[in-house]
Amino acid sequence: MTRVIAAIDGSAASRPVLDAASALAGMFEARVESVHVREGGGRMARAIAEAADVEYREVDGPVVKALIEEAAPEDVVGLALGARAVPGGRRPAGHTALDVIVTIDKPVAIVPPDARVHAAFDRVLVPLDDSSESSGAVAELMRFACRGDLDVLILHVLDAASVPLFEDQPQYEMEAWLQEFLARHCPTRTARAEVRVGVPGQEIMTAALKAGSDLIALGWSQQLGPRRAAVVTEVLEHANIPVLLLPTSIVGLPPGGAVC
Amino acid sequence: MNRNIERPPQATAVRSSPGSAGTSRLLDRRVETVVFDWDGTAVADRQSDASSIKSLVERLCSLGVDLAVVSGTNVENVDGQLRARPDGPGRLYICANRGSEVFIADPRGVRCVFRRTASTQEDAALDAATTATLDRLRTRGLHAEVVSERLNRRKIDLIPDPAWSDPPKSQIDELLAEVETRLGARGVRGLPDVIAMATDAALAAGLPEARITSDAKFVEIGLTDKADSIRWMLSELWGRGIGPGSVLIVGDEMGPLGGLPGSDSFMLVPEAESCAAVSVGVEPGGVPDRVTHLGGGPETFLSLLEDQLRRRVSLEMPVANHEPGWTLTIAGLDTVQERTHEALLTVSDGRIGTSGIPLGDHPSTTPEVVAAGLYDGEDSEERMLLCPVWNRLPLEVSQADSVRRHLDLRTGLLHQEMTGPSGRIHAVQFSSLSRPGHVVLRADGPPDVRLSGRPLFAPVGGEEETVEEGAAVWIRLRAPHGGVVAAVHERELRDDESRRSRLDRFGVYQIDTAGLPAVEPAVRAVSMSATDGFEEMLAAQRTAWASRWEDADIVIEGDEELQLAVRFALFHLMGSVADVGEAAVGARGLTGHAYRGHVFWDSDVFVLPFLAATHPESARAMLEYRLRRLPAARARAALEGCEGARFPWESARLGADVTPHQAHDLAGRIRDIRTGLEEIHITADVAWAAAQYLDWSGDDIFEETRAKELFVETARYWASRISVDEDGRGHLEDVIGPDEYHESVTDDAFTNVMARWNLRRAARAVARPDDPLRLEAGGWLHLAETIVDGYDPTTGLYEQFAGFHALEPLVMRDLALRRPFAADILLGVERVAAAQIVKQADVLMLHHMVPEEIAPGSLLPNLTYYEPRTSHGSSLSPGIHASLLARAGRLDEALEELQIAARIDLDDLTGTTATGLHLASMGTVWQAIAFGFVGLRAHEGRLGIDPHVPPSWGVTEVRIRFRGASVRVHVEPGSFTITSDRPIGVLVGGVELSAGGDPGTRFHLEGDTWEVTT
Repeated sequence: MTRVIAAIDGSAASRPVLDAASALAGMFEARVESVHVREGGGRMARAIAEAADVEYREVDGPVVKALIEEAAPEDVVGLALGARAVPGGRRPAGHTALDVIVTIDKPVAIVPPDARVHAAFDRVLVPLDDSSESSGAVAELMRFACRGDLDVLILHVLDAASVPLFEDQPQYEMEAWLQEFLARHCPTRTARAEVRVGVPGQEIMTAALKAGSDLIALGWSQQLGPRRAAVVTEVLEHANIPVLLLPTSIVGLPPGGAVC
Repeated sequence: MNRNIERPPQATAVRSSPGSAGTSRLLDRRVETVVFDWDGTAVADRQSDASSIKSLVERLCSLGVDLAVVSGTNVENVDGQLRARPDGPGRLYICANRGSEVFIADPRGVRCVFRRTASTQEDAALDAATTATLDRLRTRGLHAEVVSERLNRRKIDLIPDPAWSDPPKSQIDELLAEVETRLGARGVRGLPDVIAMATDAALAAGLPEARITSDAKFVEIGLTDKADSIRWMLSELWGRGIGPGSVLIVGDEMGPLGGLPGSDSFMLVPEAESCAAVSVGVEPGGVPDRVTHLGGGPETFLSLLEDQLRRRVSLEMPVANHEPGWTLTIAGLDTVQERTHEALLTVSDGRIGTSGIPLGDHPSTTPEVVAAGLYDGEDSEERMLLCPVWNRLPLEVSQADSVRRHLDLRTGLLHQEMTGPSGRIHAVQFSSLSRPGHVVLRADGPPDVRLSGRPLFAPVGGEEETVEEGAAVWIRLRAPHGGVVAAVHERELRDDESRRSRLDRFGVYQIDTAGLPAVEPAVRAVSMSATDGFEEMLAAQRTAWASRWEDADIVIEGDEELQLAVRFALFHLMGSVADVGEAAVGARGLTGHAYRGHVFWDSDVFVLPFLAATHPESARAMLEYRLRRLPAARARAALEGCEGARFPWESARLGADVTPHQAHDLAGRIRDIRTGLEEIHITADVAWAAAQYLDWSGDDIFEETRAKELFVETARYWASRISVDEDGRGHLEDVIGPDEYHESVTDDAFTNVMARWNLRRAARAVARPDDPLRLEAGGWLHLAETIVDGYDPTTGLYEQFAGFHALEPLVMRDLALRRPFAADILLGVERVAAAQIVKQADVLMLHHMVPEEIAPGSLLPNLTYYEPRTSHGSSLSPGIHASLLARAGRLDEALEELQIAARIDLDDLTGTTATGLHLASMGTVWQAIAFGFVGLRAHEGRLGIDPHVPPSWGVTEVRIRFRGASVRVHVEPGSFTITSDRPIGVLVGGVELSAGGDPGTRFHLEGDTWEVTT
């Protein structure tokens, strides 16, 4: 059976991480294994794992290297870890989380410490830009998500660069545009879709709140830096629900494509 | 830029086995036409038995091959020997008298279809040149004789010796040696010297372009030669949809003879560059590089014909035309762009449209067939009924497969190739323009690939019945009102020699927009198509499309990309509109289901003018759609408390308004849709469309009857809708103009001026002294005078609507945003409504549609004012601006806007091309060129012409029909020429005159004015 690794450190963020890992495992029909990289706080981490009835192991650090190694085996289909140790901590996420997400080419759920995660994900918000890279990564998620009742809301945010050139008759333009957008980027599932205009990161948060989403799934290029991954950065900074990052590399696409 | 769209490949030469005369596979493909020399190629001499040739000719013509004899002799000699009387669909041409005559032979006999007749002076000059040549030879001691005075030529025998009276072609070497010996003995340096004498003699006699030819024994001085024959043939074939790439030329004297060009080499004109060329002669001097030398004489020629016959019998695929500027090629299967490509590759016939899906099934494809005027649903939920799909094969496309689709715009044929592990599969399909509603597909594949199977698929959710009846399969779909029966007949065969499977599939769509159609007519019709066969359907398809292009083509030299984009637009415009009955032309025509097939002003104002000017029958059918819905328009007016007829903004089956009241826009916001209530200019637009049809066609009967009714009813609407204030001025409140960013405005200039035009036009329609409506018309004219139009003579500006100038004065430059863009989406509806940002040409639309209603000289100030304020948020806008900018002489900007308009679908600028092509935008492309750059205008019985074309366009030619005449306007830098099949009334440079005919009337630019060139 495949595994989802929950990286816990014994902090207050650990429980939400475990919950998110469990929900993710439910989506992927995998089991959860919690891992604590020994840098202290082991007793608390063990206790939290036992309370969640999740298998627990301890490994030796450094943390990032250890987590990368733990995620490497083929049977590991995802990783869940805390964005930061405490609410109000480093923005957009702690260095551990950032270092891990740019390295591991598997789905990684970043869980804010104040996230309240249910046993299963019910409503996932999937922001898509108009690139095949982002939709390709999300398509993998759709295939993994074996539960038929997962409510998927596709969100596309238009900005000055991406707003269509023409809108002849609004009553039909949206219908035609959205039909083609979904056919291109979400052909394998029936999903709801919404379009907004504004700053992508902000609109994603607004849409997630309005829709009651319990997970945001983003395809991305795994490249952070000036003018790169602005949307990922903003979402990680402001999200109070888990954010599942899906590298474009998981569909064999080269990293570095202009995605989020 | 759509990177999957390819440029056409170079034409490939014929591949063959040199010296393999007698083998059955002398060419590797089928050809559509064989052009061949007679003496020495088809027959050894005049006494040879030609019965085998006759039999092959008749059989090949029955299978659709055209054959053309090109001979120096007269038709009696050729036909006396050949005696073929083929019955079509292929034709037998006899090009006789060395380029001066063309005959067609069929069961009715042999009839002349072309003759070049020499003038008296030309005949005298030929005699003089001949006499002079004989004299020069005589002075050298050479005895030569004039042996015949044929049409347009004189024939001199250089060896009038009984021993050489009728030498066979196989003895050409000996003949040439004898001639050279005799000439040399008299100090004449071979045949070239004799030709030089004849040429000088012809020049001296006043024939600078005489054609001097020799076959060693004879020298001919003539007005024409075989080059004229081949040119005539290529033009004739092109007029029937056959390009030079599908033609095989066969001769026996392609190479030099005695230092002179062989007589058949004259057929190798530049226009024949992509023809395959073969010699079956001895060719002592070799052949040009582009000619394949087979040798073997008439026996080899017979083998060539037998090979072509076998290919036809075994259902071999016709080869695609690759003429530059006529083909759209999509390479590969791009899963993201696939649906867009399928829309681009739609084939349609005015009645149904079929998307260009690949040969095999793939998750990304969306097979779609739609029918004009057939709807599912009710009222505002009416949408185009998706019809059964006929063009799928039982194959699957995998990642390993190479896919290539090639749309020939000239003939409406969609060619496909798929190459994969199982081998190569070809297909060609079309929707018959000559028999709308009939579809045809031919496929060819490896022997182990099954091509036949389930030939018809119902769309998902369709209420269907499916039955097999004998060889036909049919599906009937019921719509809430009416329905469709699709019937298909196919046959498959395995060809052992080529080791290929082949399939012919015929389909018929019987559509009824009122009741459920019976099945039997469709089954009968498809059986008839199958009986007629692929070749007959193909020939008719080619001819039908070639005929349409004859009156509609636009040539732009100097911009290959634009040339293709323009023809792409015209192709889909022509394919989307029927020319009988009524034509309901939705926003996407027959290329997709977007906009639900509903009819907007797009059709009347942007599509109809092209058809009025090129195929008025289609324009008439579009007007019939509106006329049959006059009762609904009257009812709508009455509902508003008005009189007359008020057409709906958005119309479907019944002509009632089907505009929804709310919708999500692209920003995801729910908006009230007020266009149905307020965009009333549509009523005048329909009347304007009728006027366009009348101006271009001169259809007096329509003017006196149905058009008059339309003008009167629409005028009555305006008369009752316009409110007159206490100062006696007429106003229209709560309207939306073409600029839909601003709603519920008062005195929209476009609406008011169009209403005024409508009133005046209606008054003209009832102007006869005895017309009972004259009194009422007097009221219309008076009202027209009172209408507020927002014009300020001090500025030359028309205020778009009352209060427009007081809005936030935003121009696009201030927003630092690229154009076009949908301003209401990015900036918000409220912001744009409060600003001077304009969605599309509004005031400027008046200068485009009714310039006679507008203050003279007002184009420039209004263009200067409104153009910077226009966001072009509508796909209708760039093309219209291109037209107006061209009229204003701002050619670079005009060209930029035209490029945008022309690429809207090819580059999928809207992201919605997959759901259907933007037919009205395509109409603006034509209008930009015809009305804008070439300055055409049909008005009051005359054709106005005032070209302003970009210098980068070397030659521009526009073909149109004007009042029943076929007209070509050919523009070059500094001049233009009008040719037509009969003189027409034109208005050029402010002068009315009769012009045209053939060779036509030429005008040149004198300063800023066009003047007739004398």
